Amino acid sequence: MNQTVPSGQAPFVVADAVAPRRRFFGHALLAAATLVLLVVALLQTLDASGVLAIGFPNWRPLLYAYLLWAVALGAWQVIVRGYVGQRALFVLPAALFTLAVAIFPTLFGFYIASLDWNLSSVEGPHFNGFRNFVAMFHDPYYWNALLNMVFYLLAVIVEYAIAFGLALLLNSEIRARKFFRVAFLLPFMLSPVAVSWMVGKSLMEYRFGPAARLARDLGWDTPAFFANPWTARIAIEAMDAWVSIPFIMILLLAGLQAMPKEVTEAAKVDGANAWQAFWRVTFPMMLPVSVTAVLIRIIFKLKLADIVINVTSGGPGGATDTVSSFIYRVYRDRSNVGYGTALAMFYLVLIVIFLTVLLRVTRRWTRSVND
Amino acid sequence: MKLNVYNQIMAAQASRRGLLKGAAGLGAIAALNGAGLGAFTRPSFAAGELDTELRKQILAIPGVGKGQPTDADYRKVGALCLDGTKEMVKEGELKGVELTFMGLNNQNTHNFLFRGFLHPWEEYTGAKINWIDLAQADYNARLQQAISTGTIDWDVLEMGAPFEGDVCGRGLTSEVPDWVQKAIDLDDYVNYLKAPVGTWDGKLYRVSIDGDTHNFNYRTDYFSDPDLAKAWKDAGNKSEWGVPKTWQEVQAVTKFLKGKKIAGQDAYGYLDAPKPWGGFGFYFLGSRATAYAKHPDDKAWLFDVDTMKPRINNPAWVRAIQDVIDALPSEPPNQINADPNETGFAEFLGGTGSMVVWWGDVGAAAKTSDSSVVGDSCGFSILPGSDDVYNSKTAKWDKLPGGPNYAPNLAYLGWGIYVMKKVDGDEKKKKAAWSAAAHLGGKNIALWMSAYPSGFQCYRNSQHNIDEWVAAGYDKAFITSYLDSQFNSYNHPNGAIEPRIPGIFQYYSLAEDILANIFAGKMGAQEGADQIAAAWEKLTDQLGRDSQIKLYKAALGM
Repeated sequence: MNQTVPSGQAPFVVADAVAPRRRFFGHALLAAATLVLLVVALLQTLDASGVLAIGFPNWRPLLYAYLLWAVALGAWQVIVRGYVGQRALFVLPAALFTLAVAIFPTLFGFYIASLDWNLSSVEGPHFNGFRNFVAMFHDPYYWNALLNMVFYLLAVIVEYAIAFGLALLLNSEIRARKFFRVAFLLPFMLSPVAVSWMVGKSLMEYRFGPAARLARDLGWDTPAFFANPWTARIAIEAMDAWVSIPFIMILLLAGLQAMPKEVTEAAKVDGANAWQAFWRVTFPMMLPVSVTAVLIRIIFKLKLADIVINVTSGGPGGATDTVSSFIYRVYRDRSNVGYGTALAMFYLVLIVIFLTVLLRVTRRWTRSVND
Repeated sequence: MKLNVYNQIMAAQASRRGLLKGAAGLGAIAALNGAGLGAFTRPSFAAGELDTELRKQILAIPGVGKGQPTDADYRKVGALCLDGTKEMVKEGELKGVELTFMGLNNQNTHNFLFRGFLHPWEEYTGAKINWIDLAQADYNARLQQAISTGTIDWDVLEMGAPFEGDVCGRGLTSEVPDWVQKAIDLDDYVNYLKAPVGTWDGKLYRVSIDGDTHNFNYRTDYFSDPDLAKAWKDAGNKSEWGVPKTWQEVQAVTKFLKGKKIAGQDAYGYLDAPKPWGGFGFYFLGSRATAYAKHPDDKAWLFDVDTMKPRINNPAWVRAIQDVIDALPSEPPNQINADPNETGFAEFLGGTGSMVVWWGDVGAAAKTSDSSVVGDSCGFSILPGSDDVYNSKTAKWDKLPGGPNYAPNLAYLGWGIYVMKKVDGDEKKKKAAWSAAAHLGGKNIALWMSAYPSGFQCYRNSQHNIDEWVAAGYDKAFITSYLDSQFNSYNHPNGAIEPRIPGIFQYYSLAEDILANIFAGKMGAQEGADQIAAAWEKLTDQLGRDSQIKLYKAALGM
């Protein structure tokens, strides 16, 4: 039976007394389920690798064994640990689900990355060690895409600045503020694929696109937005920014609205002008929200692909290619599953390292602000 | 034929005057086709062999100018064309058989038609068909994953010939039985769809339902414009101003037109398609290269047959790549970012540029598409030739005694119906599957599919009976010119055949990435071609060189 302590003290739970036979039964149940799981996994693996000819039609037996093991694990928790085990049941399904659909696929992904596996290969997949990763280091098209990502990431700073300006504008007392809040959010509601066609392939179309006509009126004789590497990069970035700036803006706006007005009013009373009030008061106080918004935006930016695939296919000459659009071609057009997965896994590791470092750096900033 | 094309043909019937306006230009086209570019290959057939009454009857369903065919029309056509089935299958004989059919559902065509055509077949035979509908973009991935993971869940497959290496090359398909071969009349196929296409190791696996080739589309108003003709002479050209017949002439005209005007608009020559297009863009470089690279004495043009050594970096292909590099500055400013779709439909049909290479779709849409402004000024021929052709065996350029070398790029080879080998173990099921395939691949249904929106183009000589098309409501001059450009390509003795090896689109896709860098000026033609060759060698090793060599030879019928 659980016992709780009087109010005012930290709650704790006292474990039930469990009889040895019950404990033994629990352990035996889990051991049996684990054994079934391992045996089924072993048999399926041997069957799939051709060592044994059992003839499993698919991998479902292993899935069923895993589900059985998951149930046994839950039962074991309750049988062996009593009430404490019951509490674990609240978390266990989610943990096992995460294990099945996130952790295992990630680890399996690293396994796939070690295969020489082209779907069109008559011989099928075979172990390739680290050769996919070695090939990746000699693949100029992948590194070109990574280099392009640096540009796209740096552009997040500009997006942030514009979004901050818009958030300040919408936070101030302007006419039709509610209308503008909705209107500014509209691009964020659009699918990037729709934007690719509406903006990239229609508005910016060289011959009849309104943007091209305007550019001609402004004196640009040949407004081919995607024919030159830098104009193409900037055009792609502009489209992506147009879709995503409202997202940053809305986060910043929420932060601005949550900010106590007394602080800015006090700054004004102390004689601070608008710039000083912003730079010395608003901006530092908004840093935690800003860091969150920028980090989320960076994560989205690292996945940029759809606009590039639809508008330029990575061109001209790879100038707008992103890692995701490059992997898309390797995987979809070339059915190169092993190499494509290796590229994706390496990119995942890079992202994790990059974001970890970024979080540590920004934590210092936010901490100093909060302090 | 595509739905929008059909609808616009219907609209065009209301404006005969508009069609006649283009007659003069088409007269020139006919002369061109007849005089220079392969009239010798025009098909012949005996109309008496055909069931003319039945063909007339089905062409009247629903009737040209009477709106879009519906499922009821498909069923009527299917029922009227059921005689072949009735000869081989007794009523109700296949009761209890269930087949799964995998195909496309593009633009309400392909499987949508098959469903209607096969409905009366199901009623008569007693068999039942379950359908797997795929968007074209999903097709390759679905096919490859099923093959790779051993989860083929269909019995009958609609498939393009380029995938035959992946499917037939692995022994996954059932051989076409003799009775089906007789029923579909293989002799009626245009030359290029006859063996080795559809065959592996001498065995036939395909029932064709479509034909594909690149042809040359040009603007007749450009090449009959007196101002341009005068400017051409003034520029010191000795030849007459006219439609280019060789790629050398295409290059000269393209460079000449830079900075010129026609009807107050900027004039442009040839339109390249440099932007990658999922591997399909490579066909367009291929069309520039075939006249240089496809020697009449050599079946191969992309790889050496004995070693799979790529020829992409030989002088012929490098010349084709260099042609693109040289022509791009004379093409519209944004051409580097134009894929084949934009080049053919937005640019050429929209009035930009005077020459483009495409499948039959551009020609079919020229006069009938709402977005086309070149309907009265569009001509067709087979692909341009070359004054000389590279001989890979002697590593020299040859000048042929008969004049320029022509080599139509028989790109993609069209769709076909295939039956999977897994049905071979069940005779009843096998008979049902092949009976369904024969029904769809029949001669009379073929005519209806090419005349109405279906997604399929002509692939039989019997479809070149102009009178049938005219009787159905088509303009004679236009349809004659257009069909000639198609059939003269199909039946050309030096056609460049699709390699049909496993993973062919991977080769094309790899090339596209590197070509994009070449065209963007990051490297020269030879350097880039060497890179493509190296990437292809690597891919061949990954896919299995010995196997690829074997399958490439089989694909070429060697």
